[in-house]
Parts: sequence; C-alpha cells; structure tokens
Amino acid sequence: MTYRLSEEQVLLRDTLHALADERIAPRAAEIDRTGEFPEDIRQLLAAQDVLALPFPEAYGGVGADLLTQCLAIEQIARADTTSSLILTVQGLGSLPILLGGSDEQKARLLPDLASGKKLAAFALTEPEAGSDAVNARTRAVRDGDEYVLEGTKRFITNGSVASVISVFAVTSPEGPRHQRLSCFAVDVPTKGFKVARLEHKLGIRGSPTAELEFDGVRVPAANRIGNEGDGWKLAMATFDRSRPAIAAQAVGIAQGALDVAVAYARDRKQFGQRIGDFQMVQAMLADMDARVEAARQLTYKACVEIEAGSPETARWASISKLVAGDAAMAVTTDAVQVLGGYGYTDDFPVERMMRDAKITQLYEGTQQIQRLVIARALLGKG
Amino acid sequence: MAGIWVVAETNPDGSLARSSSELGTLGRTLAEASGVAATGIVVAADPDAAAAELATYLPAVIAIPEPAAADHAWGQLAAERAAAVIDASGPTLILASAGPDGRDVAGSLLALLDGAALVNATAVAWSDGESVEMSVFGGKLITISGFVDGTGVRIITVRPNAVNPEPAQQPGGVERRAPSGSTTLPAAAIVDRLESEGAAVSIDDARVIVAGGRGTGGEQGFELVEEIAGLLGGAVGATRAAVDSGWIPYAQQIGQTGKIVKPRLYLAMGISGAIQHKVGMQTSETIIAVNRDPDAPIAEFADMLVVGDLFEVGRALVTELKARKG
Amino acid sequence: MALRIVVLTKPVPDPAAAAEKLGSDNRLDRAASPAVINGNDEYTLEAALQIADAQGAEVTLLAMAPPGAVETMRKGLAMGAHRGVLVTDPALAGSDVASTIKVLAAALRQMEFDLVFAGFDTSDGVGGIVGAGLAAALQLPLLSSAARIEPNVEAGMVRVRRISPTGFDVLEARLPAIVVGTQLLGAPRYPSLKGIMGARQKEIVQQSLADIGLSGGEVGGAQARTLVTGRRTPPARSAATIVKGPPDEAARAIVALLVERRLI
Repeated sequence: MTYRLSEEQVLLRDTLHALADERIAPRAAEIDRTGEFPEDIRQLLAAQDVLALPFPEAYGGVGADLLTQCLAIEQIARADTTSSLILTVQGLGSLPILLGGSDEQKARLLPDLASGKKLAAFALTEPEAGSDAVNARTRAVRDGDEYVLEGTKRFITNGSVASVISVFAVTSPEGPRHQRLSCFAVDVPTKGFKVARLEHKLGIRGSPTAELEFDGVRVPAANRIGNEGDGWKLAMATFDRSRPAIAAQAVGIAQGALDVAVAYARDRKQFGQRIGDFQMVQAMLADMDARVEAARQLTYKACVEIEAGSPETARWASISKLVAGDAAMAVTTDAVQVLGGYGYTDDFPVERMMRDAKITQLYEGTQQIQRLVIARALLGKG
Repeated sequence: MAGIWVVAETNPDGSLARSSSELGTLGRTLAEASGVAATGIVVAADPDAAAAELATYLPAVIAIPEPAAADHAWGQLAAERAAAVIDASGPTLILASAGPDGRDVAGSLLALLDGAALVNATAVAWSDGESVEMSVFGGKLITISGFVDGTGVRIITVRPNAVNPEPAQQPGGVERRAPSGSTTLPAAAIVDRLESEGAAVSIDDARVIVAGGRGTGGEQGFELVEEIAGLLGGAVGATRAAVDSGWIPYAQQIGQTGKIVKPRLYLAMGISGAIQHKVGMQTSETIIAVNRDPDAPIAEFADMLVVGDLFEVGRALVTELKARKG
Repeated sequence: MALRIVVLTKPVPDPAAAAEKLGSDNRLDRAASPAVINGNDEYTLEAALQIADAQGAEVTLLAMAPPGAVETMRKGLAMGAHRGVLVTDPALAGSDVASTIKVLAAALRQMEFDLVFAGFDTSDGVGGIVGAGLAAALQLPLLSSAARIEPNVEAGMVRVRRISPTGFDVLEARLPAIVVGTQLLGAPRYPSLKGIMGARQKEIVQQSLADIGLSGGEVGGAQARTLVTGRRTPPARSAATIVKGPPDEAARAIVALLVERRLI
C-alpha cells in the first residue's frame, strides 16, 4: 500500500498549518503556564469542522480517513500539544461507539460529538490497572434494564470536560480474562459520577487529566456498546486506530521543535558567526530532521495500511507510535540543546515541547507495551 | 513623444497633494531630458489653488473645474475630463500617483485611451524612452521596464516618496478650461463623509513601527515612542521586557513570543536586539536603533545605530520631524 | 432574486515561500514557486461570503491564469464560493495589464452579475488598477478603497465606505458596479474542513479566448506593450552606520536616512 496526498488533503494540511500558526501557537505558552483547558481553541476547532474529522458524514462528520485525521493532528501538534489532544481524544473517546455501536447508538451519540458540542473521553485505566488494563476492577452490575457502575478510573484525558465517556467495566468477573470487560457510553454529569481530582503534570498542562469516581452510576443498557464481554476487543480495536494518531501527534511536536531549532541556528551568532555554521550543530539538526521524516513517513504508511484493513494492523499501529514517540522525545531534547541556555527558559517554546513530548512515550500504551505488541506480531503467541 | 501629462490630485482642503508635487517635479525632469513639453492637469470642484501650486513645478497647467467632484468619486470623473484635454495623437506619457486615487484615474485612463501601463514605479528616468524601475517580489528584486516602440498612450503610476519635490526656477502658467458636456462614466455619489480616528493599523500591517524596550523605563517613555510613531505615521511596538513590565499591551509585543513584523521602517528605542526580539523584526527594510550601548547586538543587523540617551535623541527627533512638517 | 457577485482572483507566487524569480525571458517563472490566491483577493472574497451569509448571494470566482490556477481557486471554493470561471489560453502568457483588463471585461460581458469585487492589488504586481480599468471598459460605477460593502439588491444599489484622508467617504451607486476592496473588509476565514472536502463538487469552467470572443491578435503576450528590459537586486544590508554626537545632530542623521530611503 502506498499513498499520495490528494488535493483536498494538501489543502486541509495547509489550511490547518496556517490556522495552527496564526491562532493556536500564540496561545500555547499561556495554556501551559495557566494549565487551563483552552475552551477558545475547542470552539475554534469545532467551528472549523476539525472535531468532525473522525466521524462519518451521515452523522455530521467529515468522514476523513485515518491519514487525513493524522495530517490534521500533526499540524495542530506542531503548534501546541494540548490543543492537538482535543482532537485526538475526541477520536479516542468516540472510537468504541464508531467501531462497535449500534445504528441507534451512533445516531443518538455521534452528531453532538461531530459538531464539537460535546467532548468525548476514554476511561479504561485505573489506579491499579495501567499497562495491565485488562485487569480493571470497575464493576458494572446489571439491574433490570440498567447497569450500575462502581469504581475509579485514573489518568483520563478530558475526564472533567467530556460529556460522553466510553467507560470499560467488568461485567463477568469470573469469566475468561479477555471477556471480562464491557464498554458503556456514559452521559455525564450524572448521579454518582465525580471528578475526584485533576493531575498536575510535567507537560500537556492545559489538558485536564482526571481521576473519575463511579459511585453507583446508573447507565441504561441501551448505552452498552456491543455485547457483554466485548470490552477488551473494542479497546484493542480502538488502539489500532488511536495509536497512529498519537504517532502523528508526536511527529507534529518533533517538527515544531525542529523548526524552532533551525530558525535559532540561522539567527544566533556566537564566535562571530551563526551557530548553524558549526558542524556539531549541523549534525544535530540533520539527525533531527531525518528522525522526524522517518517517523512521519512511517506514520502515514501505517495509516494507509490500517485503513486498508491490513492483517498486521496492530503491528503497524504500535510500530508507528513507538518510533514517533521516541523521535519526539529525542528531537525535542536536542532542540533544547541547540538553543542552549535559552532553550531551558520559557523565552522559547522548546522546553515546553520537550515536556509535552514525554507523554507520547507513556499513554495509549507505554513504549514497552508497544514492543510487546510488535514482538507478538513477529513471534506469534507463546 | 508628443506630450507628457501629469494628472494631479488635491487634498480635501483644495491644496495640491504632496504626491502631485513629486509627480510635477518628475514630469519636468523627464521633459527636460526628452525635449518634450510637460503639462499638469488638475480636475477638482475648485482647482485654482492646486493648479497654481502645480505650476511652480511645471511650465503649463490646465485647471479643469468640475463641480461634480464635490460630491462624486473623483477617479472616473478626473479620467474623463483629463482624457478630453490630453492630445493622444502621438506617443503620450501620462503620470499618476500609485496611491488610491492615482490608481483609480490611471486605470480609468488606461481603458478610455486604450493605453499601456507600468505601475508602482520607484523611479522613472529618460534613456531614449521611459526607463521605469519597479520593486517586486516583496522587495527582493528591482526590475527595469519600458514600453514597446510604437505604443501610443503610456501610463506610469509612481510610488509616493519616490521623487523629492523641487520647484522650477520659474513658475509656469495656468489655463482654466471649463469642461464641456456631461461625463459618460457613472461616477459614484458621495452621500456622506465620516470622520474617524483613522483605520487603526495593527502592527502586523504597519509600514512604520517605532518600538520601545527596557530602556524606555516606563509608560512615560512610551509616550515619547508614541509621539514619534505618530509623527512618522506608524504603529507602536514593544519588546517582551516592556510588556512584562506592564508598560504596553501584549498585542504590541514583537519577537519570538509576540509578533513577527516586516515594516519598511523599524525604529528601535532602547532595545538591545537580543535574539528573542531580533527574530521578530530583523527583516524590516530599514532598521534604526537608538541605544546607550555602542556594542548593543542590534548593531549587527541595523542600518544605523545612534549611540545616545533615547530620551534626548528622541526629543531632538520629535523637534526635527515637527519642523519638517512645517 | 439573489445577489450575484463575481470575485476576481489571481494566483500569485506564495509570498511566504519567498521563492519568486524571473525566468531568463524576464517573465515570472511560475514553476519556481508554489502558487496561492493573491492575499488581497481573500479579503474581497471574505466580504462576498459575508454578504452571502447575511442576505444570500451567488459567489463566482473569476481568474485569468494558466490552467494550474484551478488548484489555487479550489481554496476559494473551499472558503464558500459557489463556482469558478477560469479564462486560460496559451496566447495569454506574458499579457500586460491592458490585456488583462480587456480579457476580464470580455469574460464579464458574458456573465450576469450585480457586483464585481477586485482586490486592492496583487502581491506580485502591486498595481491595483485592474478594477478601475474594468469599470471604465464596462462603463460601470467604480467604488474603490472599500472598507465596508453594503449592497441592497431590492433597491438595486450598493453603498461602500471608502477610506479617505479624514476617515471614510460613503459612496453610493446603482448596480451593477465594480468594487475594489481593502484589508479593512475583515480577516478572511479559514476554509472549513467540510468546505475543503466539498470543493471538488463545485464547478470551475475553463474558457479560452475564443470562448469569450477574443483572439491572440487583440490580447495576450504577443500584444504586450510593456516589457522588462533588465533587473537588479537591491543592495544587501551593509554594516550599521554608527552615529555618535549631540542629540540634535543624531536626530538630523536619522532624518537624513529617512529621507534618503524615502520613508518621509
């Protein structure tokens, strides 16, 4: 499978490039400093149909394929990671419904998400179940035509601003490991639902990362996505599409940092010449560029393979996220290095980009989890 | 070349527009170089004062009183009335300003007289024919152009400030010529005039920016910066230090965490030129810095560094600029 | 009866790419630089789209350009224009501004419109006389330097705020009319993503010279009456002049430089 960007994809990319530079980048430092969720950016993205990208046209979406979504994410992440998260999590939180929801559920839940009127979130991780998410403990007990949810979710992006949360809870505690969980689309706020706390983080500080408590939260059975026991499968199918999005985000962050470093190397003079003329700086910048481009091309390729239904979908998703996440961390760190002392201060955005980059090595499966997925694809199950 | 014509513009008070004194000078210069007669044309409700002033630059001026100009858009009216007096039977050069009114009259004349045009000239010389310089590609290149042999009506619009006005040794004569018949082009009516603080130009588009840094020392220092900006018709910019100190709003911050600007003139008062600020303004066409420190980094990329106290130099500059305005 | 607005657009070398150059024939080397819609045309297009949003209007883009302009016009369609007309003909390469006016006038004579919007000038030509030339050629009212455009289709009139030295003159004229815009019309919108995806469905009609009743014997490169005879690059910035001395001497030095550079 190979790709070629269509006219629309090029125009979309260029439009979002300009939008990111003109409207998002100027806000990035302030968002990081105040740690406030950028409601203005959310409105901007909704108004420009950006949040509609992951949704089918039938529900008011743009019906964009994975590559197109990733082009958008990359451009926004270049300017600000927190802002790009608004788009990636809208996709992540909605994917269970998109992949496993009934027509009735889609018709009921998707339009408000496509329009950006409501935000989505994805609640799988728990205090005691991070990488080991399959051993989640939040319970969903059937009671008539409702389920009663009991438990705690942790590190949930958008947990405090979302109105529709895809919550994974145990419906068969004694069942086989991969059939214990079911997925529910929970409309919040609702009785028994509480945002217990927000994390103070190293980076993506404007993105609310929440601990959510479900204390006897009642959810209509009509909101269960798929059958009882489908939860883990749905989660895995979700990651197949959401991990490339994180890869695109990482590519964007890295490119943003590289751009700042290159501009600095052109302007900054030391020892009577611009520092870009020194070979050590040139080598760093060249390596950074090569890494970013490699990560980008791998991500785009992964998108088209996954969209085409490759039998190696999980491998493509994990490989792209692994390579891009590590590239982002390395490139942003090197960007700080190129800027020297100035890079360490908030006069320049690279220190923020470096802090933001770290999360791409942690969420949606740590880099270690990605390696397990890839190895399993290579070796088969033991 | 049969004739050189200068289509002049007037100010709201009836006096000659400054761009027209420049064009008059240019017309006379070209006439002397080519041996062709140059004539000025003033079309206005009351053209006499402007025509007399134009005659200090040109040997002959035709003043055309056009009452409709009092309450109708000028460009189409002026073009029709001017076309009626311009003898276009041989190669004919018409000069107009490249400002908004000059463009209107030039474009209208182009169609009315089936002419050819070169626009936004930065210089016009005579070298066996017109030699017109134009700055293109955002200032990166200067082209030299001319008209093909045999071209009849040649129109050149000239950028303001391209020529320094210089009165002739003897003023020329003014002939008043009342227009005959009505015009055919349906000039728009002026139904109202609105006074305004002026379209507030943001620093993004400003052609001139006067910026203050740490050296201004406070809001009072910025009053001086504003005064200079006002005299130069520019906008006020600032470094991050000044914004962080609360002396001026963030919307006017220039630099890495503010705006990137590219004005024709950047006058930096009390700004050292550290890299965070440099990236915001280093592509300005002309950079002048005033700073106490002769080794300020801004000297590396400025056109002129004035070493001195910014208040003393600033106040002296205000005096000079006010004296020039007269 | 919906208002019909034609918006003139011109593809120009992307100023942001800073890659513009002249070819060895002293004509613009179009291959050297990516093309975009002329920036000032986006302001007039935005004004047309705002009128369409407020009172309904059919917005048509009109350009005289090489065939590749279809791609740059796509952005205008993505912003919300309804259709495009591209006059393109090999004979038009190297046209001067007089030809451009004749060609656009001929194309407009075949279209039904109430308003034609032209941008203040183009980033590659910086002339700004096409609007006035068209108005004279078509014998229509010219309302230029527009900061605000208010059409009244029932009354068959248009009102425009024209920038003046003291503020604004309010002009009024009967439709159809030619309006030349300015940046004060308001920041152009970004194409919405739905607009981008839907632009492909919108039609761009291509017309040759013959289609608009003209020939290469009347307009186009062969008829150009201006020519570029030479070029030079402006001098690079040299080292800064250091001025020391009493403040009034310094002030005079500053003013002298400003005068020399034609800034005052």
